[in-house]
Amino acid sequence: MKGKVRLFLGIATVAFGFVSASAQSVYDMRINEVMLFNKTNYIDSYGERSAWIELVNTGYNSVNVAGCYLSNDITNPRKYRIPSADPITLISQQQFLVLFADGKSTHGTLHLNFTLDSTNRFVALFAPDGKTLIDSVTIPLIDVDKSYVRLPNGKGNWQVSELATPNSTNELFEVHTSTGEKFVKFDPFGLIMAITAMSVVFTALLVLYRLFKFTAKLTQKPIRIKFSKPKHAEEEAAQQIKEEIPGEVFAAISAALYFYETEKHDQESTILTIERVSRRYSPWSSKIYGLRQIPERVVVHRK
Amino acid sequence: MEQSGSFFSFLLDNLTQFLSFTGFANFTVGHGIMIAVGLIFIYLAIAKEFEPMLLVPIGFGIIVGNIPFTPGYQIGVYESGSVLNYLYFGVLKGLYPPLIFLGIGAMTDFSALISNPKLMLIGAAAQLGIFGAYMLALLLGFSPQEAGAIGIIGGADGPTAIFLSSKLAPDLMGAIAISAYSYMALVPVIQPPVMKLLTTKKERLIRMKPPRQVTKLEKIMFPIIGMLLTTFIVPSGLPLLGMLFFGNLLKESTVTKRLADTAKGPLIDIVTILIGLTVGASTQATTFLTPKSVGIFALGAASFVVATFGGVMFVKILNFFLKEGNKINPLIGNAGVSAVPDSARVSQVVGLEYDKTNHLLMHAMGPNVAGVIGSAVAAGILLSFLA
Repeated sequence: MKGKVRLFLGIATVAFGFVSASAQSVYDMRINEVMLFNKTNYIDSYGERSAWIELVNTGYNSVNVAGCYLSNDITNPRKYRIPSADPITLISQQQFLVLFADGKSTHGTLHLNFTLDSTNRFVALFAPDGKTLIDSVTIPLIDVDKSYVRLPNGKGNWQVSELATPNSTNELFEVHTSTGEKFVKFDPFGLIMAITAMSVVFTALLVLYRLFKFTAKLTQKPIRIKFSKPKHAEEEAAQQIKEEIPGEVFAAISAALYFYETEKHDQESTILTIERVSRRYSPWSSKIYGLRQIPERVVVHRK
Repeated sequence: MEQSGSFFSFLLDNLTQFLSFTGFANFTVGHGIMIAVGLIFIYLAIAKEFEPMLLVPIGFGIIVGNIPFTPGYQIGVYESGSVLNYLYFGVLKGLYPPLIFLGIGAMTDFSALISNPKLMLIGAAAQLGIFGAYMLALLLGFSPQEAGAIGIIGGADGPTAIFLSSKLAPDLMGAIAISAYSYMALVPVIQPPVMKLLTTKKERLIRMKPPRQVTKLEKIMFPIIGMLLTTFIVPSGLPLLGMLFFGNLLKESTVTKRLADTAKGPLIDIVTILIGLTVGASTQATTFLTPKSVGIFALGAASFVVATFGGVMFVKILNFFLKEGNKINPLIGNAGVSAVPDSARVSQVVGLEYDKTNHLLMHAMGPNVAGVIGSAVAAGILLSFLA
């Protein structure tokens, strides 16, 4: 039984570890924007223009894409491996990375060994195992300097955009209004908020109330246990308990309650606090274990 | 001779520079007002014993934060890299409030609530103060986020107020925290007139059934079920609710006594010192003495009145549906705000004024601890709606 429990805990730990590991990882990466024909748009550090692919980290933790693969051929997932040991591959939460599809991988980490053009209009991002597809997109034949974007970033539908936004959000030209501002637009006096929120608070505590009313019924139910002892033994036990408490105790409690209720007790100006004075033994902090043992003197008796 | 002259001018320059760095040279009327406020807080805490655990650190913090200095030397709470700024990090990032909730959970006995679970609903009704203040703040022209942060003062829960304002309106956090803690200290002054105004003498004399014995199993189940249920409904309240119920489980399980002792003892003490001092220090005259702060204080007072109104009126309405003998004394309605145990103590004191043998403290503790849960849930809702 113990072994089974351990096995279950082991599996649960591994499963949890896997889930939590993949929750904030390369699987949060998405292809966010692609430009096929770049004539007057984004320039690389060599002063050249080429097709580019923008990746976005949709997670809320930094992600390192080193070791992931990019390809323009679904049958050849390991076409370009994003190199390790380059800090540029570490992408902060909700941030972007632009890679140039210029076929010049000798120009650096961000330059892919394949190109995108009118015949190669497919891009795929693979996990470091070189098998798991994270994201892919087939770009339609779009005009020069126009890009193919996702709106909103990383999760919305693909669409052709007149204005390319490399290394920045695709929602650049949308008017941003906070949730609060949107809420107030429909509820300027806060009445809907008050009713909704109060309903939620009530619901939460009402459910808790019902649950504990039900739990109380279950736990307060008298448990019937069949005792093998005869009836007169129970009576004897009850009598014994009664006899253990002397009558003086009951008298003292009754008198104290009477005085308390009729307020005839003395007003005490001081508070007596009885605190435990003994120290708890705590071996980990004991200095004795940190001390070197004094060697015992051995006395040899010679006859 | 020429050398000695240059030495004296050098000395004079240094002396002038030193004098320009002193607090006297940088002193403004604002600093004086804030130092006076800090001294009043310390006086109220020591002489009147109004929430001394909070008002002493906050009061002293106000004085610390308002010592005039020349900026740029990593001294002030708002200067990156200063010691006070590092300590303030816990407030700014909402780190301290959940730790305080852990300690509160380890201190709180939910037995009164478990024995009479319908008292939970009073804890919900008293949250009306939060949303009443939210509506008033919107009317006064505060932004929705600011209104939400101000509204939470009505929950009468300092850590929750700091947690929410650090997320929604960090600029107003100092004023909100000071307002919340001040009114929590003034609960014995604010609540009784409202309670008396809303109740009849007959209602004030209602005797409630003594609470039943609560089993250990129920006490252990409460934090687990409570956490699962409330956080599934409002996940944004997880930092506060999770820690509150975790602390309570440490206490009720009885097998983690050492952890519970740490949570309710040294840990909460350390965090209270840090949160009190840094929140106080964040009230620098330049950022604190604004018309907005005055508005926040006015709204804070209003929110406490509305919260008390909500709790008492809810009990009165509930009594219409309850049989004779099961009725609730409306004087415990005020305890729905989560100023633990002050508002429950107010119920007891006001109750004894009308019947010297009617002790309401145990009954009032139910809605009081429900108020802690209710205000944390309300904070979660505001966070998810307005953030």
